Amino acid sequence: MNVLLIEPDVVQAQVIGKALMPLGHKVYHVASAQGAVHVSDEHTPDLIILEPQLPRHNGFEFLYEFRSYTEWQNIPVILHTMLPTSELTAPVLSRELGVVSVLHKPDTSLSLLADTVQALIHA
Amino acid sequence: MQSGAYLSEQEALFLSVTEQLVRPFLQIARISELADQEQWQTVRTIADSYLQIAESYALSLRAHGKITPLKLEPIAVSALLYDTAHSLSAFAKQYGVELEVDAGTRQQPIIADRTILQSAMISLGQVFVLAQSESDDMAPVRLSAHKSRYGVVAGMYGSASLGAESLRKARLLQGKAHQPISQLVSGPAAGVFVADSLLQVIKTRLHVAKYHNLTGLAATLPSSSQLQLV
Repeated sequence: MNVLLIEPDVVQAQVIGKALMPLGHKVYHVASAQGAVHVSDEHTPDLIILEPQLPRHNGFEFLYEFRSYTEWQNIPVILHTMLPTSELTAPVLSRELGVVSVLHKPDTSLSLLADTVQALIHA
Repeated sequence: MQSGAYLSEQEALFLSVTEQLVRPFLQIARISELADQEQWQTVRTIADSYLQIAESYALSLRAHGKITPLKLEPIAVSALLYDTAHSLSAFAKQYGVELEVDAGTRQQPIIADRTILQSAMISLGQVFVLAQSESDDMAPVRLSAHKSRYGVVAGMYGSASLGAESLRKARLLQGKAHQPISQLVSGPAAGVFVADSLLQVIKTRLHVAKYHNLTGLAATLPSSSQLQLV
């Protein structure tokens, strides 16, 4: 399965990639919203892992834009973020942006992230 | 720090620095997960503990600045203490300190923000574990909740001398010490400060408390009498 990882922190992206690749996933890492669109054109993702705090771009705005393309409207998105979950409005994220899971990075081990990815991809 | 105010320049700076500090701890914690060796487990536990304190401080600043809204909900304090002990278990094991939970008799639920209260208790717990590990006796750190006239008193107790002085040091960090002290603030005062700062968000404070023969720091959390009727 293709996993698009939108993560500005390269070190974390490498670690997440190493955790997901042994599970049989191809992980395409980009650090920016623009890169995400380019990669999605080339390799349609089955799942997106997004840190919405992106350099030069708001990840939520990106997601609204991403969802405007019909072929990308149903791709599940995991928010994997430094933002406290209490600052995120779950119903809006779910209803309007197709966010299926919100994981607060400091509380999320690699195994929990990997389990979440597995559960969503095989759902 | 004034509740209800937005972040001052200094608070905004602290928040920025703290969030910057979170990043390397997070990287170390996650990298260490990929390795099997026992030493890496140690590295992960250390990184997780400092990640927690930095995160908690950032949370207190964000909550004071109303960036993070409060989510009030009914909380069973005894269950929260068991969760806190679970969160602290790897850290305590690393330092060879035993944790004991004494939730006492059934207490009335309280209304508070669970994340903030839990973060405060974990920050406080780390301080007690460190202090206990540096003391000569092997007494456990007790997480306790008991009823009082004013509500549920939840806190940490140990044989290490953590009490009024730690609290004064912590308050000094906030510029709110009642008495001037000469020593430089260091060590566990930061964790007490973070816990106290978080508790202020939910309108309570740390105070020195006695539990059997132990001294500790606790917060009094007003019970919800309406919930008790439900």
